Amino acid sequence: MIQNTPKSCIYFDNAATTWPKPSCVLRAVQQAMTIYGANPGRSGYQMALAASRAIYSCREAAASFFNLENPSNVIFTQNCTTALNIVIKGLLKYGGRAVVSDLEHNAVMRPLNAISVNKPIFDIASVTPGDTPKTLESFQRCIKPDTRAIICLHASNVFGIRLPIREIGELAHRHGLKFVVDGAQSAGVLPIDMNNDSIDYLCVPGHKGLYGPMGVGMLVCNSDFQLPTLIEGGTGSLSLELNQPGELPDRFESGTLNTAGICGLHAGIEFVKKNGADSIAEHEINIMKYIYRRLSETKEVILYTACPDLINLAPVLSFNLKGHQSEETAQVLASKGIAVRAGLHCAPCAHRSFGTIKTGTVRLAPSKFTTFRDAQYVCKVIESI
Amino acid sequence: MSSLCFYVSSITNAMRGKSILEQNGIRAFIIRSSDETVQNGCGYCLLVTSEYELAERLLRSTGMRIRDKQIKNDGP
Repeated sequence: MIQNTPKSCIYFDNAATTWPKPSCVLRAVQQAMTIYGANPGRSGYQMALAASRAIYSCREAAASFFNLENPSNVIFTQNCTTALNIVIKGLLKYGGRAVVSDLEHNAVMRPLNAISVNKPIFDIASVTPGDTPKTLESFQRCIKPDTRAIICLHASNVFGIRLPIREIGELAHRHGLKFVVDGAQSAGVLPIDMNNDSIDYLCVPGHKGLYGPMGVGMLVCNSDFQLPTLIEGGTGSLSLELNQPGELPDRFESGTLNTAGICGLHAGIEFVKKNGADSIAEHEINIMKYIYRRLSETKEVILYTACPDLINLAPVLSFNLKGHQSEETAQVLASKGIAVRAGLHCAPCAHRSFGTIKTGTVRLAPSKFTTFRDAQYVCKVIESI
Repeated sequence: MSSLCFYVSSITNAMRGKSILEQNGIRAFIIRSSDETVQNGCGYCLLVTSEYELAERLLRSTGMRIRDKQIKNDGP
């Protein structure tokens, strides 16, 4: 029987990848490698159909998790970044602009930059933490006659700032714009409802808050618009036609799928459902509140946000020690067995907004498996530096 | 035993169709399509042995594209 991997360090890098993985995820991956070894969607023999069934079950689970009616609109990708590239380059292939927030990750900014010819095709709205009307006003101001989409993260991967996606989605639809959400830090932690949040495209990783393995992500579509493809190839369907199929998910799933990763992701989604995303989020935010309160009593610590709460923040906390580069602090923590990420976290926009572009920040992010004892140890080590 | 075969283009459509039919009490089987010209290449069939009209109505109500349908006399 597979057990959870024993913790070899105090792991606070869950915003990058959750670890350890639940034992059900480990089992599901091993089971897939053992009994779903055939190519899904290509043949009619028993093992191939069983693999296809396992994959379809994950589509159903994901659709239900994000309140989407049609499981065929759940597209498996390599990761969240691939999903964002498909949507961004598809929506803006024939022109137009996008509005983004000033906290975006390079997974959004680099694709936008790559398709910008001569001058940027994006406008940047300022997020005012905890002030939805002001944030909305900024998004509204950025909308131009040729704007086609609002693309924004749900929660900042650096500072945990939560964006009011429901209100931004309504704003987008009032202006006839597509609404694209980068759920990298929120899927599995904060509630996401494709319909109530007016989301046309949701891009999520499998390996973070959904507790799946690396190498699998999802593009969840809630729009009839047929996006152009980034990659074409074999889909196991309509093989006599040279044109890529129009139907989802085949349109965006050329090549053999990552069956083991998808089965692991399915087990991860079930793990989150069983434990309750709300309960997991509450556990994580309570740990972050504890750490915040202790660190705020330490003169040498610089904090950048208000005390974590689930209304305005996701359970991600950035800090620095006065007079230290963030990477120096991370190295000291690593030498004491604590795993954190420091630097710019692939999100220079967010660091520019918070004035931390020169130092970066040290980021702490817990998971369901983080304990208060872990938090106490981290605080003790930070206080001793 | 005869059955009705609904040709759909992809395994996902076949899985989705089977799920919808079974939620409505209609047993369905998935097989690989044997008629490649109907499918413009590869594809799958959803076989049902009863309630043909209801099955078709249910499948079409989801917006799923049925590429063809044929009665088979050798059953699933």
